Amino acid sequence: MTNAAAIRPGRPALPEWVRRLPEYLMIWVPLLLSAAHLVSFSLWTIWISFTPSTLIPVSGWVGLRNYSAVAASRNWQIAFDNLLLFGSAFVLLSLVTGLALAILLDQRIRGENLLRSIFLYPLAVSFVVTGTVWSWLLNPGLGIQKLVHDLGWTSFKFDWLIDRDMAIWTIVIAAIWQSSGFAMALFLAGLRSVDTDIIKAAQIDGAGPIRIYRRIILPSLWPITITVVVIQLQFAISTFDLVRALTNGGPGIATQLPALVVYDLMFQRSLLGRGAAAAVLMLLILLAVLLPYAAWRYVQRRRAAHA
Amino acid sequence: MPITTTRRRLLAGSAAALALPAFARAQGAVKPRLTAISQWSAGSDGAAITALGKKFEEKGGVWQHSPVPGFTTEMMNKLRAQIMAGDPPACSQLKGPEIAAWSKIAPTVDLDAVVAAAGYEKVVAPDLAKLHKPGGKWIALPLQIYSTNMLFLSKRAMDKAKADKVPVTWADFNDLADKMKAGGVPYPVANGGTRPDDGQKFEAALAGISPLAYRAAIMNLEKKALEGPEIKAAFAQVRKIADWMDPNVGAQHFSTNLKRFIDGDMGMMIMGGWAQGVLRNAGFKFEDFMIAPGPSDNSKPVFLLNADAFIFWQRKEPDLQAGQTLMAQLVMDPAIQTMYSQITGSIPVRTDVDLSGEGWSDGQRRTAAALKDAIASNQAVLSLAHNMAQENGMTAAMIDVITEYVKNKTIKPEQAATRLAEAVEGAR
Repeated sequence: MTNAAAIRPGRPALPEWVRRLPEYLMIWVPLLLSAAHLVSFSLWTIWISFTPSTLIPVSGWVGLRNYSAVAASRNWQIAFDNLLLFGSAFVLLSLVTGLALAILLDQRIRGENLLRSIFLYPLAVSFVVTGTVWSWLLNPGLGIQKLVHDLGWTSFKFDWLIDRDMAIWTIVIAAIWQSSGFAMALFLAGLRSVDTDIIKAAQIDGAGPIRIYRRIILPSLWPITITVVVIQLQFAISTFDLVRALTNGGPGIATQLPALVVYDLMFQRSLLGRGAAAAVLMLLILLAVLLPYAAWRYVQRRRAAHA
Repeated sequence: MPITTTRRRLLAGSAAALALPAFARAQGAVKPRLTAISQWSAGSDGAAITALGKKFEEKGGVWQHSPVPGFTTEMMNKLRAQIMAGDPPACSQLKGPEIAAWSKIAPTVDLDAVVAAAGYEKVVAPDLAKLHKPGGKWIALPLQIYSTNMLFLSKRAMDKAKADKVPVTWADFNDLADKMKAGGVPYPVANGGTRPDDGQKFEAALAGISPLAYRAAIMNLEKKALEGPEIKAAFAQVRKIADWMDPNVGAQHFSTNLKRFIDGDMGMMIMGGWAQGVLRNAGFKFEDFMIAPGPSDNSKPVFLLNADAFIFWQRKEPDLQAGQTLMAQLVMDPAIQTMYSQITGSIPVRTDVDLSGEGWSDGQRRTAAALKDAIASNQAVLSLAHNMAQENGMTAAMIDVITEYVKNKTIKPEQAATRLAEAVEGAR
């Protein structure tokens, strides 16, 4: 385009900013709109969290009272502990599963496309569906335990769904099933992008496949690893539909998660102020993950620029 | 007390006399129209409100009902949005103490004149009436009543236990459960695992042990009653019930296990009157099960009230105002209440409706009789699990404790009672 316009005689070239106007419009309008949405609603929520709002938003100032009420509630404490456990277990295990699947798929096997689709497919399923299906599979009276019993092994026990200490792990299982395919896809892309010359050089030097993976391929994957961790963590923090369909916070309130608490406070208990405070606390947890990531990206970029 | 009642009647009567011609005029001049929202869109609920709309149209009105399917909370979100936009529906579903809470955020219609003209107050249970006139004035009207503590007995489980007597007290109940267990019923208590399910177990236990303690602790939140021995006894009874339930139900709905209940795999079910409709809809026969009032230690029926209602929001449009008057008259009409309850399986709000005729089931007749007895002996109380006794925030805080207790057998009844009192303090 640029060249064509430049060589055509007798017609003055359009100024740079006019020519690039469509690009600016394309990027900046949606960007500004979504930023405005995000920022304005976040600010609104923060404001509400300091008001005595219950059924509807009202003005007024109660200081940190909503925050202390939320932090002191058993529901929030359980939800926070669960988030620590669920978040770390889910991220770690989905990382390991995803990486293992990616390495296995990377062996130039037959039917790779089919297998890749199968592993990636759960990602296309809605979390509500995942939660519902797993709630059947994991129900001791209907699912896996019953199947094994019917096959003859009657002492077999797999009742985590109704065990309040283990129930949080059923959410980990379902979440891993859903999203380790996503980790796999990213890792696979990473594995494929490793420079084959280096690998060949290592092979010539006599390194075995395990050594090549350990010393060359895996170290080059760590930027991807961090991306996967951050994406999965923010998913873990905002998990709502999965746990709602799978356990609905139960047995009792054993599998509460922060997002459930926010919804419960705002819409079931009609305590908008407290719900907003819980939402802001969630935002803070999220920032605790995202800010170090942003800082790390910044340092990375600086280093790359200097190199 | 009698003096104030008379004075109130007198006032209401004169207000009605003054207001009636105005209503008549309003109805004559404009075509009554009603905008209404509710969660009733499908099944018997949807059929009932559609039938009500037909009646409204027969009287010359324009019926504009927008159902918001799903949970009550979703209907409330729509209501909230409409109120904040300054455009509330002329009439909406709302029940229990939420009527008082919501009436503070938007102006409601004073229905005193219409209610007095219909002589409605004397045929409504006093506790129920109070909920619908939070500031002393009627602003909402109850539509239908369910009891949340009906006892359903599986005939086949009864046969296995070789029992034919309906348990009256909790001791009878526990006896029968033991007999069922011994007779080969694996789970003497049928149940679901949802929060209201767990809440119902507790409220049935406490109200059955002592309706007075229930009223003081759960409805009036008296500190002394909350720490009283009845609460611990109720939690102890709930533990027994929980031990007889199938732990595998997880968070399932109670209706999932109805077949096992009918088959005699599960014996007794403490559930609201609506379960009758669900059982019938699932194709089970009246011979398969029995319905009785929930256990009560003083042998007189205890009735845990759950009532659906309509609240009326102030509108300036004359046609909507005429529509509100017409709707209020319809909702109080015994014929309409009969029609409505026969569709949904509930019982009418009016205590003077005759249920002996065709179209009523034995279960409904027994429920209505229980309500009458319970009101007479002051044992009709408001359900906690179904948001009748307290506002949603308080209810949820209390159910948290109850549902955790049901699912966690290491919590002692004394601990649960302490936690309940703490939860109440925290939610005040």
